[in-house]
Amino acid sequence: MISLNPESELPLYRQLTNQIMEAIVRDELATNDMLPSVRAFASDLGVNMHTVNKSYHELETKGIIKIVPKKGAIIIANKRQQITAHQLNKLGEAFQPLVVEALVNGISQQELQDLITKVLVKIKED
Amino acid sequence: MEFIILFITILFVSILQITIPFLVKRNVVFGVTIPYEHAQDPKIMQYKKRYALITAIISVIVLIGFLIWSQVNTLQQPKLVLTGSILPFVILFTSMILYFFFHYKLSKLKREEDWYSNIRQVHVTDLRARAKDEMLSSFVHLIPMVITATLILLSANLFEQLPNQIPIHWGADGQPDAFTDKSWISVLNLPFILLIMQAMFLAINIFTKRSGIKIQAGNVTSSTLRQLRLRKYSSWFLFLTNILITILFSFLQLNLLYDQLFSDRWLLFFPFGFLFVMLIGALVLAVKVGSVDSDLEGKGITGQTNEQESVDEDKYWKGGIFYFNPHDPSIFVEKRFSIGWTLNFANPIGYVVVFLPVIIILILSFTL
Repeated sequence: MISLNPESELPLYRQLTNQIMEAIVRDELATNDMLPSVRAFASDLGVNMHTVNKSYHELETKGIIKIVPKKGAIIIANKRQQITAHQLNKLGEAFQPLVVEALVNGISQQELQDLITKVLVKIKED
Repeated sequence: MEFIILFITILFVSILQITIPFLVKRNVVFGVTIPYEHAQDPKIMQYKKRYALITAIISVIVLIGFLIWSQVNTLQQPKLVLTGSILPFVILFTSMILYFFFHYKLSKLKREEDWYSNIRQVHVTDLRARAKDEMLSSFVHLIPMVITATLILLSANLFEQLPNQIPIHWGADGQPDAFTDKSWISVLNLPFILLIMQAMFLAINIFTKRSGIKIQAGNVTSSTLRQLRLRKYSSWFLFLTNILITILFSFLQLNLLYDQLFSDRWLLFFPFGFLFVMLIGALVLAVKVGSVDSDLEGKGITGQTNEQESVDEDKYWKGGIFYFNPHDPSIFVEKRFSIGWTLNFANPIGYVVVFLPVIIILILSFTL
């Protein structure tokens, strides 16, 4: 299920991006699966086509899907593959401000690791 | 014979109008969206029952009145047919007025109760729903078009041999009652109109397929099933309509090309037979769709917590009937107070699909 909350602080397209990635993590979507066309997806959700379009482009930039014009998008991310140094680098940069924020608030290294474990469990459970 | 057909038609319209509040999606009552947990509120059920009762009383009066009136007076056939054709609209009109009355009352109730204040409103979809869509392929609508193409070729071949007077209007008994001079337009008029209608059916199927599968967050399982059934059975009904109209037009055109090809008995049978098949088709559609995610399904709202509902879209429904949502790329959406589809009036493609063919057919008819 994809569920977008317009009241949330997170923009709709970002919510959609996150939920598609979560669906992949939970094996609801697999490599080479097709996502619907922008029009069909937006119709089903009852949201603007820009929302889906923006999300697809974000996912494409992240290397998770490949957009097939008019048809939809194909999932190219592969969980079984070893993560590349480049991707690891990019993720590190994205993590940095969050880790800094945690440190500013006085988190210890152990607490930080526990927090990540907790988040991991939550994602798989949902 | 005419009386029975007319009586059955009025009865059919009556039953559908009486039962409609119990056949539509249960979270939309008289065109007003209600959270699922309040869908069976005693006050709401009371409104529905009152609507049904008043519509039923009026229907019974109309039906008995029609029966007595036709028995007492020995009527001329045209008068009987005229009255019998107007009466269904009398019932439709009264149920429409009742609809607006209860729509107003429910909108007021919704404002007072403020049902949505503690509910999270979300946009939802199931990525697996599209794979379960069983709508007919749009290609099937090309088959009747082949028949039309054959008719056009046949008509062109026989053009020289045709008489100088060509029928342009037929009575309810299938007999021509108006004629015009022979020309390419008058000879090919019927196949052209048929072709435009077939193109419209094709376009409706294509754009319905592209329109959204709307799932209700408050009742995911049932609302998905209802949407899938509506798509499947309405696409079959559309194809059935296409086939029947193609048969009817082909038959009229063949009778025009080959004088008196079919006997009068066939002429009588066709329109009535078609009406009968259409009524049965509509009944199947109403039962298959209307029995899911409606009051008929019973209390079974399963598996979902009630703190989450789909976004309340009432502001996009003018009068609870006309859908105008510029954000939604859907061209057709499920009707709120009937079973079937309605246009998203904010989408210009919809106007082209539905109104353009009608305009072309009107122009074609008036140029004769």
